[in-house]
Amino acid sequence: MHKLGRGHRDKLQQFITITGASEKIALQALKASDWHLEGAFDFFYNQPQLKTFTDSRHLEELYNRYKDAYVDMILADGITVLCNDIQVDPQDIVMLVLSWHMKAGTMCEFSKKEFIEGLQSLGIDSLDKFREKIPYMRSELKDEQKFREIYNFAFGWAKEKGQKSLALDTAIGMWQLLFAEKQWPLVDHWCQFLQARHNKAISRDTWSQLLEFAKTVGSNLSDYDAEGAWPYLIDEFVEYLNENGIIQNGLINDSSLKW
Amino acid sequence: MSMSERKTIDLEQGWDFMQKGITKLKNILEGLPEPQFSSEDYMMLYTTIYNMCTQKPPHDYSQQLYDKYKESFEEYIVSTVLPSLREKHDEFMLRELVKRWANHKIMVRWLSRFFHYLDRYFIARRSLPPLNEVGLTCFRDLVYKELNGKVRDAVISLIDQEREGEQIDRALLKNVLDIFVEIGMGQMDHYENDFEAAMLKDTSAYYSRKASNWILEDSCPDYMLKAEECLKREKDRVAHYLHSSSEPKLLEKVQHELLSVYANQLLEKEHSGCHALLRDDKVEDLSRMFRLFSKIPRGLDPVSSIFKQHVTTEGMALVKHAEDAASNKKAEKKDIVGLQEQVFVRKVIELHDKYLAYVNDCFQNHTLFHKALKEAFEVFCNKGVAGSSSAELLASFCDNILKKGGSEKLSDEAIEETLEKVVKLLAYISDKDLFAEFYRKKLARRLLFDKSANDDHERSILTKLKQQCGGQFTSKMEGMVTDLTLAKENQTSFEEYLSNNPNADPGIDLTVTVLTTGFWPSYKSFDLNLPAEMIRCVEVFKEFYQTKTKHRKLTWIYSLGTCNISGKFDPKTVELIVTTYQASALLLFNSSDRLSYSEIMTQLNLSDDDVIRLLHSLSCAKYKILNKEPNTKTILSTDYFEFNSKFTDKMRRIKIPLPPVDEKKKVIEDVDKDRRYAIDASIVRIMKSRKVLGYQQLVMECVEQLGRMFKPDVKAIKKRIEDLISRDYLERDKDNANMFKYLA
Repeated sequence: MHKLGRGHRDKLQQFITITGASEKIALQALKASDWHLEGAFDFFYNQPQLKTFTDSRHLEELYNRYKDAYVDMILADGITVLCNDIQVDPQDIVMLVLSWHMKAGTMCEFSKKEFIEGLQSLGIDSLDKFREKIPYMRSELKDEQKFREIYNFAFGWAKEKGQKSLALDTAIGMWQLLFAEKQWPLVDHWCQFLQARHNKAISRDTWSQLLEFAKTVGSNLSDYDAEGAWPYLIDEFVEYLNENGIIQNGLINDSSLKW
Repeated sequence: MSMSERKTIDLEQGWDFMQKGITKLKNILEGLPEPQFSSEDYMMLYTTIYNMCTQKPPHDYSQQLYDKYKESFEEYIVSTVLPSLREKHDEFMLRELVKRWANHKIMVRWLSRFFHYLDRYFIARRSLPPLNEVGLTCFRDLVYKELNGKVRDAVISLIDQEREGEQIDRALLKNVLDIFVEIGMGQMDHYENDFEAAMLKDTSAYYSRKASNWILEDSCPDYMLKAEECLKREKDRVAHYLHSSSEPKLLEKVQHELLSVYANQLLEKEHSGCHALLRDDKVEDLSRMFRLFSKIPRGLDPVSSIFKQHVTTEGMALVKHAEDAASNKKAEKKDIVGLQEQVFVRKVIELHDKYLAYVNDCFQNHTLFHKALKEAFEVFCNKGVAGSSSAELLASFCDNILKKGGSEKLSDEAIEETLEKVVKLLAYISDKDLFAEFYRKKLARRLLFDKSANDDHERSILTKLKQQCGGQFTSKMEGMVTDLTLAKENQTSFEEYLSNNPNADPGIDLTVTVLTTGFWPSYKSFDLNLPAEMIRCVEVFKEFYQTKTKHRKLTWIYSLGTCNISGKFDPKTVELIVTTYQASALLLFNSSDRLSYSEIMTQLNLSDDDVIRLLHSLSCAKYKILNKEPNTKTILSTDYFEFNSKFTDKMRRIKIPLPPVDEKKKVIEDVDKDRRYAIDASIVRIMKSRKVLGYQQLVMECVEQLGRMFKPDVKAIKKRIEDLISRDYLERDKDNANMFKYLA
């Protein structure tokens, strides 16, 4: 191992911890960005994935391990076993990231094609590699562009088959899961508002625009444009915040949010 | 001396001769005893100049004579003219000046004639100022320049005196001011710079002082009278002695000081300002106000603003009064349905007549006042009264006029005139689609229940509505009226069919009205279980209809039907006029003495609401054809009913009313639904042609497209956009959430 200064060694360790990358790859990324962590992350995520060879036979074995006895799919029970094997809670958000890699059509189901092609794209063909990859998948949530993709993927993944909208309870659960990663200060108010005032399913448009709202308007609503193209429901939410004194002069006025 | 030989004249000799002539002229000008120039004198003077100019050098004295010409004027002015002017002041100075100027012009004219030869050759050859100009210039440079300030002040002083009502010599002023113009020799600069500018300034100061007093002392009408009089007098002044080019500038000054400066104070005078004049209908004063303020820049803006405010206030007072009356009515008797609302509409019409006359007469059809009137009426004409929207009120008002037995008895001409005015009011109502739906509902009732008083009036109002709102607005209504005409023809055919087909026998008299779906409001079409007698009627008519058209489907709407039944009661037979539903219920008792609520409901196949309403009308209302057990006021599902064989009435023929269902809510719901469709269609139409469009632009075009029928709420449009996104007609641009794309 190269002799590294303390600062460099700390950064290397930090990068490895966050991304789950190997030391070799981490070192490569940090050098390419002149030892700036943010730059290193950009470099790392923008690199085309290494075409790691995966053993088809091993993938088949993995699939068969979790496959349902009667249907050629992995269903809820199989997913539970999978979570046990890779030591992840089924409610953990990293399972959403995994589903996104697999392009899963619906929650709690993986078709054979989804499962095998997903694992191939991740370079996984064994449980050991699977466990090694968990930190990497978790770190993808920190990348803004990937978070957006995962967020928008979640809508189709979580909604009932054949439905166009996402059930309110499911939507609220997903928002709480996702914004736990992003720390949007208004998420609890948003969920309360929906239950108090809306109480209906959520459209895809509202779902995707809420992320933009959280990103661009954030905690300072003084620049919210009610005449803009925001979905109706978000207009109502801003009114609700103002009516209830949660927002005053565009600033959050909720002591429970102070930290 | 030989005629062909001419003696040379030297300068001194020749000029001495000319001097005698000039002195003679001066004496004449001064009014001294001096004989006039004879033609011989003139010829000798002219010839002398001629000779002195045509002698061979060095005896050609043209230049010297030219110089002496000018010196003659200068000497005369300095020695005679100026002293006579300097010693005088004010009006006397003005008179002297006028005289001196007149004399000067005479002198110029005579000397120019004596020295004429110079103009023809010497001056022309040397390009020197002509004699006339030299002469006038002398006066300007020596007299005018010294005195024009004093002259100006004296003139202005006289003008102010005239303004104060004193008599002045107008001819004198005209002559003096002509000097300013003539001094300019074709240009107005001397008049404008040396007199007019100061005169305008003085005018401003004068009227500013006057106005500051009048605005405190006078009422608005009195002030305006004075202002109008002042403007008239200043116009007179121009006509009498100022140059005509001064008029617009002068009037502008007066208008500014009297009107522009005090516009707000004047218009807003508490007891006599614009509001008070409108309140008290001071038509003449308002006309004067319009004439005055129309002359100052944006002067009509505050007047029209106050007018609009006044009309709005009057209108809102009508709304409030109607609202109060409706509240009182609720506390008292409820049976006068909508009378107060009818009065309200009538009063709005009268208000519109009154203020439209103001716009046309007092305010001379000015666009600002048409706009003010329109905006004012749009405010209060879109307020509801007693829970009814104005759209509904107008429709009810029309219904009251057009139906038989309406509360107003109007002549044909009065009906036409009133309907014309109602249609005009409709222009102010945002929710025209709501009016159309209510109107259609009531039109349907008039047509189907033979309540319409006059076919011509029905068609007439549709023509007016069509002109104002377009063909699409009235197409359904016209279809309805046409259907009724066709229905009459159809009934004639049916009767012929019956007489030609002995086997086709409905058993009872039958009249059927065929309606075109889509023209008429939607009606509930229940599967009422008809009595056997009626089933036969239906079958016979169906067979008839099949002979006319094989591809149309008949749907029967029994809720619109009417029946005449002979009720054989113990005391006497009474003819009952009832609805088809009521008839069906009553006929059940031909074969049953006693029926329970649920039995009736089952046999008729109606809903609870309908059965309750039906049975209530037959057993709990004015005419108790059925006896109810228990004998209470309300219908319960545990009740039993019997035929009331003891029923009787003074009349041999009675109508048993079935209380109408409140349709207001349904109409409003229908209109809301139609609006959603209309907004969707509009958005799709716009996006189909644009393919890509920003949100703001889309909303704007949508509002613009739909504005003729109703004013879409922006939130409603936003909801429709989101719904269209869900239905995959639209999508948001990936990179710009404010941009929408059309999906084919």
